[in-house]
Amino acid sequence: MLAFLRQTLANLQTLLLPQNYFSWQTIIYLSLFSWLMSLLGRGLGATIWTVGLMTTLSWAFLALGVGWLLEHNRVNLLGIPIAPWVSGAILCIFLFGSWGGDWLQPAVVAWPLVSFMVVAVPSLVNWDLKWQTPLPTVRQNLVLLFLLSLLFSCWLQFYFRIQAWTQAYPSLVADSFEASHFVYRIPGQLVPLSEGVNHLTAAETFVREQIDGKPWPSVERWLLNSEGNRQAIQQEIQRTQPASPESQLWQFDLQPITQGEGYGLKLRAIWLGPSAHEQGYYLEKSCQILPVTQANSYETPTSAASAATRWARVSCDLATPRLPGRP
Amino acid sequence: MPIANLLAELGLMPLRAIAFQAMLLLVAIALEAIVLRQRLRLGYQTSVQYAATLNLLATSLGWILFLTLEALLPLALRQQIISYVLFNRFYMNSWVDSLPVILVVTAILAFFMTFWIKLQGLSWLVPFLDRAPVVAAPPPPSSSRRYGPTRRRQPTAATQASPYTLAVLQANALSFSAIVVLLLLQTLA
Repeated sequence: MLAFLRQTLANLQTLLLPQNYFSWQTIIYLSLFSWLMSLLGRGLGATIWTVGLMTTLSWAFLALGVGWLLEHNRVNLLGIPIAPWVSGAILCIFLFGSWGGDWLQPAVVAWPLVSFMVVAVPSLVNWDLKWQTPLPTVRQNLVLLFLLSLLFSCWLQFYFRIQAWTQAYPSLVADSFEASHFVYRIPGQLVPLSEGVNHLTAAETFVREQIDGKPWPSVERWLLNSEGNRQAIQQEIQRTQPASPESQLWQFDLQPITQGEGYGLKLRAIWLGPSAHEQGYYLEKSCQILPVTQANSYETPTSAASAATRWARVSCDLATPRLPGRP
Repeated sequence: MPIANLLAELGLMPLRAIAFQAMLLLVAIALEAIVLRQRLRLGYQTSVQYAATLNLLATSLGWILFLTLEALLPLALRQQIISYVLFNRFYMNSWVDSLPVILVVTAILAFFMTFWIKLQGLSWLVPFLDRAPVVAAPPPPSSSRRYGPTRRRQPTAATQASPYTLAVLQANALSFSAIVVLLLLQTLA
């Protein structure tokens, strides 16, 4: 037990206290030191410039030290050394993270290019911080590497562009991407619901407010004014649903049909935007409007006259099946 | 499940585009390297390096152009692009009739712009790497045998700019044809 402890301590000592001052541990310690100094400076109320300098030094040393450590141990992933990528990531987090705001996207897009800089700077600048011209073969490799990282940046930017699309048009995500030659959805995810479902729920609420529990003759009159109701519900949807660029791509439609004693009401949200279906698709919610002699429980019939009155009761299906084509 | 959450958070990833583009790039680099090697009398490694540099340059600039233009286009046209990228089809809106024309014009423009970029890239890359300017592959052997002073001036004047131009044009045409065939196969599959 004691021997084990001693061995561990010895290992720790060689890890933390390097033989040579010119090593990655020194750099990490410098980073820690600069960080502590920046904390101290902040505590003592030093100028922003001092604290900023200390923080910058701390991040730069951290990137250098971690890169050195990984390079020293030849850590690689599928034969590609990851040291410049990790150093580049640390630098990106520092460079763009200090901006604040929505910094993640520019940081990720710039990541390959910053990593390229990490690789390129040692062969472009010598130890006296003078510009040096590398050998032609090195130049060729650097050009190729730069173009590759530029391509990676473009791919990442394309990824973020797709995210921007799905944010502007959230209903696109509810579709199928089997046919796409560009994007791939890794299976096993929960596919979100189309925005149209929310529109239909808002429409159902509106219809309930308008006719549920109202006298039957007035409900029949309400149903006759199909076009007016359509416009009213469209306005209601626009009012209640969050405004997004895709709102213009949804069209609301309703169709009353006679159904036995009462009526059926089909609420439809028609998607006019891009879709995997040949003719687009629409979502449909079916409602039944039935006359009942018993009013809703909260309205107790007080007289014989009201007991004879017929009231309307609205019930809607929860399901909103997605149907291809146009109604 | 955290992994499923992470995937849902990441959203749609252009993995198919990346895989297909990597394949197209490999094909184009291989074909263009062959042409450059034969036309410009380069070594195997040099021709592959040149072809890779030129194709990566053209591809990256193409992406930058696309990403910039996409943000500037009118909304209805952007929706068509979204439809094509996500569902591999165009949908019915006011642009649907003019799309074939736009596509053909874009393809032709893409060909000539790639050609121009590759030509500029090559004429910049060779001096950058301190290589001697490439001499034209000599014309048919019958004329190269009789290397008289009278015949000498005429071909150099005519082919001063053309060794790159012809080679890059041929390489570009070959790689574009291969890419068109692969795209057609992908559409049919």
